[in-house]
Amino acid sequence: MAVKHTKKLFVRALNKKFGKDFDLAGQKTEYKRLGPEQNARKREFMEYAKKLEGKRGMTGYNPYVHAGGIPLGQRQLVPYKLSGTEYVVEGDDLHFVNNPAMQQMWDDVRRTIVVGLDMAHEVLQKRLGKEVTPETINNYLEILNHAMPGAAVVQEHMVETHPGLVDDCNVRVFTGDDALADEIDDQYLININKMFPEDQAEALKAAIGKTSWQAIHVPTIVVRSCDGGTTSRWSAMQLCMTFIDAYNMCAGEAAVADLAYAAKHAAVLQMSEMLPARRARGPNNPGGLSFGFLADMVQTSRVAAADPVKVSLNVVAAGAALYDQIWLGSYMSGGVGFTQYATAAYTNDVLDDFCYYGVDFANDKFGGFAKAPKLLDTAKELATEVNAYGMEQYEAFPTLLEDHFGGSQRASVLAAASGITSAIASGHSQVGLAGWYLSMLLHKEGWGRLGFFGYDLQDQCGPTNVFSYQSDEGNPLELRGANYPNYAMNVGHQGEYAGISSAAHAGRMDAFAVNPLIKVTFSNPGMVFDWADVRACFGKGGAREFRAAGDRSLVMPAV
Amino acid sequence: MAYTPQYYPGSTSVGINRRKHMSGNLEKLRDIPEADVVAVMGHRAPGADYSSTHPPLKEMGEPDCPIRQIVAPTAGAAAGDRVRYSQWTDSMYFAPSIPYWRSYWGAINCKGCDPGTLSGRQIIEARERDIEAYTKAQYDSEMTDVALCSMRGCTVHGHSLRLEENGMQFDMLARTEMGSDGNVYAVKDQVGIPLDRKINLGKPMSEAEAKKRTTIFRVDGIPMCGKVGARKYDEAVDALHHMWELRSKWGFRPE
Repeated sequence: MAVKHTKKLFVRALNKKFGKDFDLAGQKTEYKRLGPEQNARKREFMEYAKKLEGKRGMTGYNPYVHAGGIPLGQRQLVPYKLSGTEYVVEGDDLHFVNNPAMQQMWDDVRRTIVVGLDMAHEVLQKRLGKEVTPETINNYLEILNHAMPGAAVVQEHMVETHPGLVDDCNVRVFTGDDALADEIDDQYLININKMFPEDQAEALKAAIGKTSWQAIHVPTIVVRSCDGGTTSRWSAMQLCMTFIDAYNMCAGEAAVADLAYAAKHAAVLQMSEMLPARRARGPNNPGGLSFGFLADMVQTSRVAAADPVKVSLNVVAAGAALYDQIWLGSYMSGGVGFTQYATAAYTNDVLDDFCYYGVDFANDKFGGFAKAPKLLDTAKELATEVNAYGMEQYEAFPTLLEDHFGGSQRASVLAAASGITSAIASGHSQVGLAGWYLSMLLHKEGWGRLGFFGYDLQDQCGPTNVFSYQSDEGNPLELRGANYPNYAMNVGHQGEYAGISSAAHAGRMDAFAVNPLIKVTFSNPGMVFDWADVRACFGKGGAREFRAAGDRSLVMPAV
Repeated sequence: MAYTPQYYPGSTSVGINRRKHMSGNLEKLRDIPEADVVAVMGHRAPGADYSSTHPPLKEMGEPDCPIRQIVAPTAGAAAGDRVRYSQWTDSMYFAPSIPYWRSYWGAINCKGCDPGTLSGRQIIEARERDIEAYTKAQYDSEMTDVALCSMRGCTVHGHSLRLEENGMQFDMLARTEMGSDGNVYAVKDQVGIPLDRKINLGKPMSEAEAKKRTTIFRVDGIPMCGKVGARKYDEAVDALHHMWELRSKWGFRPE
């Protein structure tokens, strides 16, 4: 049975933000209009900009050009507490440009590709008559971990990449076959039995079966110079060269083409799909990343399975940063506003409080996670309750309302809490999605306002797509993604949808949401970003404690 | 026709006020001179000619069209005025109106207008002389309290913030101020350009008056769902549940 949670989790964060002596219920305050100087990070920006002025020979950052000479800071510029952690950082620290952990999270996705080994082994054995044994596989993996970062094999007089620039690159294999896994050198193995709780490991191994796969992470610096579409090409070239070296093949014979096909297409899992021409991006870019895949990338489910809210909220955080801040906020649009929207979902313990309230309520009513009937009525009861509770907190705690000062922030948080609660309670993502949309309508009805224009479309007509069978209208939520019709333009939604996808499976205690290969691949201890604790890792990034990969300083003069 | 539109369910003061806003049958609380409204809007100097984007319709030789024969143009359309806007920010602390209800009021009662609804602002666009009339109607009526509502073309931040100590809605650009005589004065136009004179907008509502006239459900006013542990749904919630359920089921079409 679930642990009951302390209510009003956000009060601690509000005290950290506004100072512990302020009146929590006060609806009036003195606005001191202290300007940007009240905030350490803004002061740092201004000082740095001054230094740059002489160097650049032109003006740059100057908050006093804002709004005809009225700078930011007419209200209190408050910091943000990363939910579920002790990290308190400035808002600026959560813009992805200022936060290397957020960048690395995205880099870790786009530099990853999963490639099957079995088809290549069959080509080697049946087509070329080569012997494939655990020893040859280990030898291959040693060569591959030399070659994949950008080092030469087979050919003479080749250029190579500096190992210090590409040290994050690695390839490990995994399989559902314990006997084969036992034969693989530990350093090259993602050991499912070791990385996952026993029940999850069994489920994953059963789903993967006797197949074997390579979790390939090309160097971060490569995808930062090129893009996610590069990953399959980079990895395929190095895979082919490594096979040639490890199995003493002829470099030019037709069988190499079979290997190349296997490595590039036949047994390849991209992290995300290509986008259509109007949003033209190659595979392994954020717009094609499904909510279910993101739910599987986040690893909180294997370290905190008993707390499905925590599992879901780490997925929400990853999605808010990736879909809202990076995809919509930069690929699709521009500026700085997207960060402000997105942070509401993973800071100050607000969404946590609303979700724990809802899940406690559901557990009392239905007797545990995933016990509620998978019905519209479940969404109706739970979403109405959670949404009402959340709105009441905004009303009872004026600084909470002030913290989520935009309607889009509140809409996302209220609807996410309603959706996550409904999904955990029922173990069904579509019931969760129904709860999401009901919350949106209730919110609008109560306060006569919702989010920005887009919410009119996406959220007010959204209930019609929850149970639609038509492929351009409906889909299981796990299989929808950032480019799903109606979802392609609105901040404050996609991360939360990923969270609801995750919540259904977290409530059921599933080992994975959609794809066991993704779940295992992102458990690779060689990942740079901490996929098990997304919010803490963002906090580290904001607190300047996180070292990202792909750094070029090794080959540049010191600043 | 004997039919009287009902507009909105519920017997609470919020439900009643929402119906009033939608019907357009609103109480007039003040009379702000047209020139002052025009100055705060900031699109043209009071008394200046209207800019136009096309000749008067009468001079344009319009095609023979049954719709044109049925629908008389607004004054602004007939004259060829450009389209301009007024945008309002209403505090969540019991401002009389709320964005959707400003939009519903506009859509139902204001011919030739284009309302847009967000959380922290609500805009109506129309031909210039028409939007001036619609803006004055909003300013003068019980839809507006001059401390809790203000016209803000940009930098609208404030609807969800705590109020100033004097009861004014926070405004980064300080476009309005409380005078020592208890009246609220507009000192900048809606995009924050200083006015050449202060415009007296009159006295704000008392807190009790604002709560009486508001259209927002709040737990410290008229709650929509009762309170935690003592839920009691307003009729609006029942109606909404019904709509949500039908919308959800309509989408399920396995044919």
